[in-house]
Amino acid sequence: MIPYDFEYYRPTTAMEAVRMFSALDGQGKSPHYYAGGTEIITLGRLNIVRTGAVIDIKGIRECQALEFAQDELVLGAGLTLTKLEDANPFPLLSKTASEVADRTARNQITLGGNLCGQIFYREATLPFLLTDSRVAIAGTNGTRQLSIHDVFNGPPRLSKGEILLNLTTSRASLALPHVSVKIRKQWKTGYPLITAAAVRMEDRIRVAFSGLCPFPFRSFAMEEALNERTFLAETRIERAILRLPAPILNDSEGSPEYRLFVLRNLLADILSEMEGD
Amino acid sequence: MHAVGQSVYRKDGWDKVTGTAVYTDDMRMAGMLHAALRISPYAHARIKTVDWEEAGNMTGVRAVLLGESAPLIGEEIRDRPPIAYGKVRYHGEPVAVVVADTPMLARDAADRIRVEYEPLPVLGSPSAVIQPGAPLVHERLGQYEVSPKIYPVANTNIANRTKIRKGDAEKAFTECEVTAENEISFSPSHHAAIETKCCIVKIAADGTVFIITSSQAPYMVKKLLSSAFGIEVGKIEVHTPLVGGAYGGKATIQWEILAYLASRAVGGKPVKLYYTREEDILTAPCHVGLDARVKLGCTADGKLLAAEMVYLFDGGAYADKSPDLSRAGGVDCTGPYRIENVSCDSYSVYTNHPYPGPFRGFAHSEVLFAFERTMDLLAHKLGMDPLELRRINAIVPGDRTPTQVLLNPSNVGNLPRCLERLEALMNWREGRLTRLSARKVRAKGISGIWKNSTIDPFASSGVLLLFNPDGSLNLLSGVVEIGTGTKTALAQMVAEKLKMDVGRIHVKMEVDTRTIPEHWKTVASRGTFMAGRAALAAADDLIRQLKDIASCVLRCVPDDLEVGGERVYLRDDPRTGLPFPQIVYGYTYPNGNAIGGQIVGRGHYILRHLTYLDPETGAGRTGPEWTVGAQGVEVEYDERDHTYVITKAVSVIDIGRVLNPKAAKGQVMGAMSMGLSFAGRETFEFTPGGIVQNPQFRTYRPLRFGEHPEYIVDFVETPQLDAPFGARGIGEHGLIGMPAALANALSLASGTNLNRLPLVPETIWRRKRASHDSL
Repeated sequence: MIPYDFEYYRPTTAMEAVRMFSALDGQGKSPHYYAGGTEIITLGRLNIVRTGAVIDIKGIRECQALEFAQDELVLGAGLTLTKLEDANPFPLLSKTASEVADRTARNQITLGGNLCGQIFYREATLPFLLTDSRVAIAGTNGTRQLSIHDVFNGPPRLSKGEILLNLTTSRASLALPHVSVKIRKQWKTGYPLITAAAVRMEDRIRVAFSGLCPFPFRSFAMEEALNERTFLAETRIERAILRLPAPILNDSEGSPEYRLFVLRNLLADILSEMEGD
Repeated sequence: MHAVGQSVYRKDGWDKVTGTAVYTDDMRMAGMLHAALRISPYAHARIKTVDWEEAGNMTGVRAVLLGESAPLIGEEIRDRPPIAYGKVRYHGEPVAVVVADTPMLARDAADRIRVEYEPLPVLGSPSAVIQPGAPLVHERLGQYEVSPKIYPVANTNIANRTKIRKGDAEKAFTECEVTAENEISFSPSHHAAIETKCCIVKIAADGTVFIITSSQAPYMVKKLLSSAFGIEVGKIEVHTPLVGGAYGGKATIQWEILAYLASRAVGGKPVKLYYTREEDILTAPCHVGLDARVKLGCTADGKLLAAEMVYLFDGGAYADKSPDLSRAGGVDCTGPYRIENVSCDSYSVYTNHPYPGPFRGFAHSEVLFAFERTMDLLAHKLGMDPLELRRINAIVPGDRTPTQVLLNPSNVGNLPRCLERLEALMNWREGRLTRLSARKVRAKGISGIWKNSTIDPFASSGVLLLFNPDGSLNLLSGVVEIGTGTKTALAQMVAEKLKMDVGRIHVKMEVDTRTIPEHWKTVASRGTFMAGRAALAAADDLIRQLKDIASCVLRCVPDDLEVGGERVYLRDDPRTGLPFPQIVYGYTYPNGNAIGGQIVGRGHYILRHLTYLDPETGAGRTGPEWTVGAQGVEVEYDERDHTYVITKAVSVIDIGRVLNPKAAKGQVMGAMSMGLSFAGRETFEFTPGGIVQNPQFRTYRPLRFGEHPEYIVDFVETPQLDAPFGARGIGEHGLIGMPAALANALSLASGTNLNRLPLVPETIWRRKRASHDSL
């Protein structure tokens, strides 16, 4: 039960949505873009999300894209995670996304919602960070294409009223050797203690993380340390850990010390699998 | 035709599998209002001001209730204001209740109440609160009204103390050749029934209080409301439809009191109070936590001589049921073993945690975790196989329990036989520890189990059997159908007794305290025993009446008659007889004369020979029998990551007689999964300030499908002679050895002594690191 009333809008173009947002915001309605609605419902009932109007973006064509254009894959922000898993155009994404929540929830959770939501794990971000994907963002000045790193590497940097429309990934990078590992506090359900995804590109390993810090990230500094093949794996791992972008999370899933222990083993496994030794 | 021993379908099954079963929240009443709680965000704080003006002025808000100094409520100690007054003592305690036209409005208004708190020091650990000089959770403990046989200690945080003294433990320890000592600890947790707490209360113009509630104790609701608010007990009518899981969490009275106050505040209009999951976790009574110390001593060949225990049950902010929990922990303070010298001090202590209600097993899984871990330590010191240590000390008829009850072949099951079956089912002889790969090992752990039900000595149960004109029966019992299938078992017993088809016994699922005979509380695995005895007595009563009327018509003495197949007939000439429809609503002679009338069978049962415990020695009989068993767990453990999977869980329980094989297996499997979930993952994660960090299923995660091991359930049948068809209690027992068995398996696998729950990989990693550091 959501203990407040809110208005519902369903625009059909990105521009219409952006204008609606601006107008509703001007009326003091704290509008929220709405796709799957899982966060609005579950956080709304706790008053953590409080809004006077939601703008459903699922009717916007660009948000429903699931197609190859030339040598690039375009995935709309309004696609549900299970739709992405079932269509499977991006195997690493399918793998990472399939560990989010449970099937019933993923039937609702959208790609855009997972990337832009308040619940900070945003694990579907990782495959896009690893493949240097581009994001299409609509704002009052029209639609822009930006590197994913400018917007989703770390806490999301969308301006107020901007909409994530879709993500574009090169076809070549979809076939990179990859791993995706989600380690939970216990067994098979729960948020990540750490989720890591990695690809190998021209003998270099790329790694991105969720659950380690209160945002998903891919650190080029850490990757540099991990790829210094002149050192032993253990040394590379220790040097990479020194370059973590922020202090390690401390919450009811696990302590920072324990997450660090898990991270060391996880990185050792990733290096061993990706380097084939 | 036999009904007992068959896997008959549950009488509540069709409605449940088709989704049409009705629970409390499905009920509506004309003009019904809705209540919402405002709960404390602090574990301990002074309430400075409550500003409810904005909430109170909202259109559609009918009342805002704040705490008052009286009356204080509580099952054993009257220490709890229904709505916090002056102070809050736990995270989640109700601070205000709003009544409004819609649930949404009530919630919105409750959120607009502004409460100013002044935080106070938080008492979090049972071990810390009993230290001399510890701040007090209740300064006025010495002035509270207390039930008989409860022993709070004024000016301390001790809500109750149970002393068990059998033999002379101190002296016996001097004679022991091997001893083992251990300390365990775990925090409170949640019952996680799917249906959260809910009730509707209205007060009629004549003062009758009408309640629909999701409860295991509708008759207790009636009595407690009557005594707390001075309402004539006959003017309280409590209805309980099907209950969507309870596990002890619905055996205490809390939400009914809040809804009663809410209804009273709006002139008796019907008010529904429905707990959100967060409130169900935080506000409602939880599963108790425990700190414990156990010391065991034995001869060089493993014969147990002495046991000394201190149990500190985390009674939380208010006593309610925790004095009874700590007493139950004292009564069965050891595992199921022959020990001549036992000393136990079992306390319930106040803390600033949510307060506990019963939890499936009623203090037994908790105590067994402490005791059975120590048994494994002792076995290790002796260099003896842990199963062998349990076998040679297994309690048997002729032995005495810690409260000095003499056991006989009826009041205790066959533990040696259970251990023998467990040994075979777990392939124990292949070894307890097997290397599977460079990093992985397979390990096995076991636990002995037993449980006596420490319920009130005057607890009774009644059953009515009413005939329908076609000769079928209606069975009325005050047992609440909480998912255990007990009412189906009662129908099976009556069918067996009357030699009729169980399909012809119709069971009233809903309880209505005004028309249905009382069953004390649906707790403690007592349904089949007590209500079963009452049902059999009611069936005997029916048979007597059937024979009486048939003997008139057939012109014979009642002794010549038999009942079966819905007929009454001559024993020596079965063709001569009367079908039920001709006599159960009276018999009409061919000329129109009639005799008799609707036949009503009445039966009741009260537990016999129960006594209070001696305050100095604990001697006394708190329940009729001990169900015993042996359980085991097999894990595959990763030595590098300290992660593990539970591959197998085994239970062998002596349940006296299997009444319904599949239902019994289901009860045991369900209980085992709950035990593993508690042991492996479930706990409240407290901050140092006593705030529960995980009051949602996002972060509080019971076992899910895909995480279950293979369950193996086997039964031994040693009849309890005074129980219906010899059946022993079974509702809880599958749970109680699981935490100890899992911890024993993982302690072996990890090579370290694991004494904290839950057993998440981080717990094991910490323990490994600490033992590594100490070397």
